[in-house]
Amino acid sequence: MRLLLILLLAVSSFVHAAEPELLEPQKAFQFAARLQDARSIEVTYRIAPGYYLYRDKFRFSAAPAQVKLGEPQIPPGKRKRDEFFGEVETHRGDLRIVVPFEADGAGLPALTLTAVSQGCADVGVCYTPQEQTAELMLASFARPPAQGDAAAQLFGTQPPVSDSKVTALFASGFWLVVASFFGFGLLLSFTPCVLPMVPILSGIIVGGGAHITKMRGFLLAAVYVLGMAVTYAIAGVAAGLSGAMLAAVLQNPWVVGAFAAVFVALALAMFGLYELQLPVALQSKLAEASGRVKGGHAAGVFVIGVLSALIVGPCVAAPLAGALLYISQSHDVVLGGSALFAMALGMGVPLLVIGASAGALLPKVGPWMETVKRFFGVLLLGVAIYLVSPFIPATVHLLAWGTLLIVTAVFLHAIDPLPVHAHGFQKFSKGVGIIALVAGIAFLIGALSGSRDVLQPLSGLRLGASEPGAPSFKRVGNIAELDSRIQAASGRPVMLDFYADWCVTCKEMERFTFSDPGVQARMAQMLLLQADVTASAPEHLALLKRFRLFGPPGIIFFDRSGREIDGLRVIGFQPAEEFAAVLDRALALR
Amino acid sequence: MTRRGVIALVALVTAGSAAGGYAVRRWWMSAAADASDKRIRADAIFAARLANLSGGTEALEQWRGRVLVVNFWATWCAPCREEIPLFIQMQKHYGARGLQFVGVAIDQREPVAAFQREFGMNYPVLLGGLEAMELMRSTGNRMGVLPYTLVIDRAGRVASSKLGGLKEDQLERLILRLL
Repeated sequence: MRLLLILLLAVSSFVHAAEPELLEPQKAFQFAARLQDARSIEVTYRIAPGYYLYRDKFRFSAAPAQVKLGEPQIPPGKRKRDEFFGEVETHRGDLRIVVPFEADGAGLPALTLTAVSQGCADVGVCYTPQEQTAELMLASFARPPAQGDAAAQLFGTQPPVSDSKVTALFASGFWLVVASFFGFGLLLSFTPCVLPMVPILSGIIVGGGAHITKMRGFLLAAVYVLGMAVTYAIAGVAAGLSGAMLAAVLQNPWVVGAFAAVFVALALAMFGLYELQLPVALQSKLAEASGRVKGGHAAGVFVIGVLSALIVGPCVAAPLAGALLYISQSHDVVLGGSALFAMALGMGVPLLVIGASAGALLPKVGPWMETVKRFFGVLLLGVAIYLVSPFIPATVHLLAWGTLLIVTAVFLHAIDPLPVHAHGFQKFSKGVGIIALVAGIAFLIGALSGSRDVLQPLSGLRLGASEPGAPSFKRVGNIAELDSRIQAASGRPVMLDFYADWCVTCKEMERFTFSDPGVQARMAQMLLLQADVTASAPEHLALLKRFRLFGPPGIIFFDRSGREIDGLRVIGFQPAEEFAAVLDRALALR
Repeated sequence: MTRRGVIALVALVTAGSAAGGYAVRRWWMSAAADASDKRIRADAIFAARLANLSGGTEALEQWRGRVLVVNFWATWCAPCREEIPLFIQMQKHYGARGLQFVGVAIDQREPVAAFQREFGMNYPVLLGGLEAMELMRSTGNRMGVLPYTLVIDRAGRVASSKLGGLKEDQLERLILRLL
């Protein structure tokens, strides 16, 4: 019985086997190229079972013209009698060819290798000559490869886009890396990422009491920055070792919610609802222990620094991703940790300045100190709203801002008449109050009219205003789905966007970059895929791991034949203009 | 399992696999429908001008009205070479009845010329580059594989297309009903 079934199956499948089932040539002969060292390229072909390539049909060429290719070293193949050509050699399985090259003139950034191959399938067909190209970056080989050959190779084929800016640094010496990261952190401190830390720190210092000195302010800031830096180093190393989805864990709604609650508590203290102080017994104990830093504050500030780093971390995920990628693949934990530590110190420099100046700027005592405290209280509440914004409905988000602004305005006497002989500060304060009041009302109206955009709360009221058509992404949830979508792209380049609800950068990309008409026009020529990894399911992690990503944001491009375009990934926010250039490169590839 | 159940199962598997096989076949042949009234016009083929071995160019238009067999091949492609003696023999037999073979070689001039001499090819051989690959793609050979053979009827429509080598009986069946 079973035999009959098998026979039937076999027969019916052969009935229609007149047309051979063939792989696409790119799948039958999978091509890859990378720099082996400063003077040779390694070309590999992964040849599918049942397919073969002719040894004497490979042709290699390179652009630009300064690049001279040497004789390719092709291993001997299997000899086969051919009635027309005599003996021919063919290759099956994995084939590795080394192509030596020389580049006239130093400083050549990249070369394009074009490889032509010819092959056949055992079922009795041959493929027309296949031409494949690879763009190889030479930059990392400008000097003889120093340490970490693996890393250099890993990143050698990536053009300087986003993440590779960071990774390229690792090819050089230890201290150079650490110093570079310090400078990098300094640059990062000018991004909005660090802004939430300013009110936190200032709140700590101002809340510390009236007897604050320059030294004390500086020390508090230093402790805070140290906490932050240690956290970055530890988190970086840990993430590198585990390969876990760091940002996702730390952006867990409960973690963020708890932290927001801490902010609210701090804000209430600023408003004078209660005095924020540790129990006296504990205070004195800590004071004894913490020597020069008085008041037992240091440990608390350190902890707040640690927490701040965790929460703000995902904001700087883009540069972090490059470093974490390196750590996880090189297992050079010391260098990776040091680099991240240095980066965090760099980020902390402005905070140190604020710490020192806050002490310096504060007058001995004054009633306006209360105003400053309230101001920071408002800022802390704002930070709390910002933190929880990804997890609350947009309407609630708008309502929260509206309420905060209106209450602030009332406290600023926006609706009280000014005294007849009001002095300048009162007038200024009323002006600010009215601005806050109007903005708050706008948020309220926005919330009630169904707007969902915090940056344009009244956009829902615009008559006939056309929303910028959001690009339509197709969702992919796992690797199989991704592969089949890419296969079905039918010659279009593919853009894969990793997204999560908690990923602020992703939302910024959506709002500011994807909405640009130029970017949209280019994106329309691609198949747009989106992997929503909010849930962090195992298949999501597998998807991320496949592209060596730790979490969103991350945009990967595939060329028209479905292969990932090496190095052309965008990790982190890119403004429309830059992103359009990246899209152009993806579209330009044949 | 009851006897009736077995029969039902066998029938189901047969029908299912036949349908599956048919679907696969339709997918492969998407561009070349086999029903005669659905034949697509071979205008792109007739419009092509390709280089011949003596350095000139020739239009495929000149063979319109005959039963035209266009064979895409190359000297380095072993399965292609195997069927060429068959083509030579068929050209000899049926040429007088209006059958015309044309070879389009995706290849270099020298080996093709040498091959033509050595095997005594009795039908025209043209050289194809990118435009010939495009012809293959546009007529249903999505992956540009060789050998690839198109049979075009007297009305200038694609009667059949074949990826891979042809056997004598297959080719005769395709051609004789058109002559």
